[in-house]
Amino acid sequence: MTRPMQMNRRGFLASATGTLALLAAAPALAAGKVLNILSHRVHQAVLGEGEGDLMAGWKTANDADLAFTTFDSNPLMDRLFREASLPETEFSLGYMVDNRPTSDIARLFEPLDGWQEKDPIADFADLAPGLIKGMTIDGKLIGIPVRTATQALFYNEDLLEQAGFTAPPATLEELVAQAQKISADKIATGMVLASDLAVFPVMFARAFGGDFLTQDFRLLPDPAAMEQALTVLAGMFADGSLPRSYATTKNDDQVTWMQQGRAAFTVLPFARAAQLNNPEQSKFPGRIKAVGFPVTGGLVGKTPMAAVVEAWAMVIPANARDKDLAWSYIRQVSSPETTLGMALNGNGAARVSTFSDPRLIEKNPLAAIEAEALANARGAFPPFPEAARAQALLLEEVQLAVMGRKTPAEAVAAISERVAPLLP
Amino acid sequence: MRKTTFLGVIPLLAPVQLLLLCVVILPALYVVWLSFHLSSFGQAPEFVGWQNYLRVLSDPAFRSAMWNTVIIVVVAVHLEMLVALGMALLCNSGVKFRRFLLVAVLAPYAVSEVVAVAMWRFLFDLDIGPVTLALQALGLPVLEWSYEPSHAMIMIILLTIWMHLPFTFVILYAARLAMPADLYEAARIDGATRLQCFWRVTLPLMGPAIIVALLFRYIFAFRMFSEVWLLTGGGPARSTEVVAVYLYQEAFSYNAFGTASATALLMVIASLVLASGYIWLLRRQVKNAR
Amino acid sequence: MRAESLLVPIGKTLAVAAILVWSLFPIVFIVASSVKPGQDIFAVPPQWVFEPTLQHYATLWAQWGVFFRGLWNSLLITIGATVLAVVASTCAGYAFSRHAARWLDLSVVALIAVRLIPPIVVTLPLFPIVNRLGLADTHLVLIVLYATFFVSLGTVLMRTFIDQIPRDLDEAAAIDGASRLTILWRVIVPLAAPGILAVAVFVIVFAWNEFLFAFIFTGTNAKTAPLVISEMIGSIDGVDWGVLFAASTVQLAPVLAFVILMNRYLVAGLTAGATKG
Repeated sequence: MTRPMQMNRRGFLASATGTLALLAAAPALAAGKVLNILSHRVHQAVLGEGEGDLMAGWKTANDADLAFTTFDSNPLMDRLFREASLPETEFSLGYMVDNRPTSDIARLFEPLDGWQEKDPIADFADLAPGLIKGMTIDGKLIGIPVRTATQALFYNEDLLEQAGFTAPPATLEELVAQAQKISADKIATGMVLASDLAVFPVMFARAFGGDFLTQDFRLLPDPAAMEQALTVLAGMFADGSLPRSYATTKNDDQVTWMQQGRAAFTVLPFARAAQLNNPEQSKFPGRIKAVGFPVTGGLVGKTPMAAVVEAWAMVIPANARDKDLAWSYIRQVSSPETTLGMALNGNGAARVSTFSDPRLIEKNPLAAIEAEALANARGAFPPFPEAARAQALLLEEVQLAVMGRKTPAEAVAAISERVAPLLP
Repeated sequence: MRKTTFLGVIPLLAPVQLLLLCVVILPALYVVWLSFHLSSFGQAPEFVGWQNYLRVLSDPAFRSAMWNTVIIVVVAVHLEMLVALGMALLCNSGVKFRRFLLVAVLAPYAVSEVVAVAMWRFLFDLDIGPVTLALQALGLPVLEWSYEPSHAMIMIILLTIWMHLPFTFVILYAARLAMPADLYEAARIDGATRLQCFWRVTLPLMGPAIIVALLFRYIFAFRMFSEVWLLTGGGPARSTEVVAVYLYQEAFSYNAFGTASATALLMVIASLVLASGYIWLLRRQVKNAR
Repeated sequence: MRAESLLVPIGKTLAVAAILVWSLFPIVFIVASSVKPGQDIFAVPPQWVFEPTLQHYATLWAQWGVFFRGLWNSLLITIGATVLAVVASTCAGYAFSRHAARWLDLSVVALIAVRLIPPIVVTLPLFPIVNRLGLADTHLVLIVLYATFFVSLGTVLMRTFIDQIPRDLDEAAAIDGASRLTILWRVIVPLAAPGILAVAVFVIVFAWNEFLFAFIFTGTNAKTAPLVISEMIGSIDGVDWGVLFAASTVQLAPVLAFVILMNRYLVAGLTAGATKG
């Protein structure tokens, strides 16, 4: 903790003097080579710092240093694609979300099959096959999965007990009943969900065995399931077990609502457990637990819940300067030991075996539940050029249905009519 | 008056013109070109004629965004002008703690948008927001901004006025400060009342500044983004979406650079039409000044 | 008459109170939140009494060293952009005010028309150009961009202010043999000080808080404070609101300091102008 701090201060001072001339040169680094990486702060953080630097060995072996340039998710994707569109970029490595690589985007990045053949990643088959498939575009592997975020159902044990429930819900119907009772008893709002992400309606539709858009681009494979999902959500909104501010609720609101005990249930990635139970922020540290999202009673034991998972992969821009160093970095980061190290730092692993590692289980009691949810999980929808537009349309119709301005049947019909022309 | 020679004026104008040329005008020409092409990341631009414009203009979401923008701009900018004018005159009328008052008035301008909006969301939270609770305690109606589209619009207007009032205020306050004091003395000696002073002296002299402030607030308000994006995200159900949000989505969420460029140019035209009255007033003033 | 003399001060006091509440209420909340214990920031019901803590500032210092580097970058860029914009606008405003020609009138309108183009679309063509020129991730590129987006307003504003300065003053100076630059510097600038400061405030506030250009044109070297703040609200690992409010309080302070300073100069400049006029 202290060493990187000093580094920062030193960097700060160095730049303070250097930039007086307004055109400061990049701070001089001790190592011979530098790998410039475009990532989210999280990706840098899970690699550890100082004593716990998981890349220390790699840095020495390669006489190289890592220079992370970090942004928040959406700006990051924008910047990565802009850099990859230039004649040449100094960023030889980037992190990409799995719902972005369309055919056009994939062409901007280096196909990795050749690299893998020449200089393979250790135990490649252990990387979750579904994630590898998601990063294989037009038959070419363009990214190596490195982080997963699987959605879980979080519940506040305290609030459930106050309402007389001793166990979390095992079916969707139980979930709705518990949320309603908690709202009706004025203990808290039953459930809080953000309205600006497709994740939530998709989860509810899948709980009824349906979906929004399958990986092979079938729109609403089971319209009745989506209609049931919207009916449930609209019912929860009408009886107050979803907050009246539903239509403007965001992801961050979910966290504060849970931390403050304003809501009893929410759906968030497993990794958020740490923040929800952080004693410095939460009124209920240690009391907010997670289970897999339940399916409807009729499907229990028949169809497992396909939770929504979002994955990040490491990619090499096709116009990158130092692809050798980038591939070497990828090999190191996706190795079993670094994967475990990152998982211990709170990273959702992309390797199946990591979840059953005793060291992780000891540190993270949710590991087994997360592994189970991940086994059947898939992305909210597959990447395609108009995916973002399709999501916006879905959300608009879902909001109308939930707030009761349209019937669920009308909304489902509108989704299928408006989204269909956008499909590839 | 000094005789104007082209060569005499050019050195004074050069920095401004050069900056605008390189940073705005030349790139803008590219934007015009792009608006007739289909373009995205990893895609060579493909000429499509007027298709982008047709697509945007025929999109009901764009039309409702345009309509929302016009309502918000017209209401917010004029309301803001009235309040700012009152505040500027008040600050100049010998109130106590003027310095502190000035800092207080300007403070919202310095707050980063993200944080300002986060705070407003909390203050106006439907269940627990301190403002909502206060309104309820006073028996006043609360703003159901996350449910009622009209309330959401009011909330956006309030927020945008809060965030940008300092802008209008600074212009008017500085203009009022720069007004020669002897004019008032002369008017007082002539026996003019407060109100007459305002109509005959203050307003005509501040006229140019008022028009500049209005004009630029029109321009800025027309591309209002953060207030909407961070507060309501355009919701409930896209009912409060504004053109800048539409443009942002086209450019950054959908990476459709052709339609984004077309949207931008349509925005320029619309704001030009909406602000044309003030531009005309400004031009007339430039002429009258001589 | 007596009723008025009583009503006016009361009215004024009420107005001042209303202004203070309107402007400061949310800001007091922001600052207070930066010293509230984490669980109390969004507590239900809102916590009015709490034990202040500097915990969030400590975390900011320990974990977000990059924020302070960002502040430094923001400072350099803000100063550069302000100087550039003010100098360019004052020169142009002077030219527009003191010279008449049809093409000049038209160019005022052109100045405004240009400003109507949303900055967001200009980023598309500029990104490859800036990279080609090797200016990506430098302070210079943001200085130029920020200044450019305020020279239109600056020029028009400076013209209105310089218009108010009696022409005889600079004509008298011209007869004394002063050059155009001397007139501008010795006569115009002191008298147009309120306008110059107003323009400066706009550029400063804009450059200090701008996000879009900063994220497109910088990386590590010239990364500004608003970019770091946006990372604090990162969507993957959740928001630490206390640190965020601490950072925004830190970010707010310099601008407020400038406003306080500005007020003093405004009043001083005015008295100076009055004696000369």
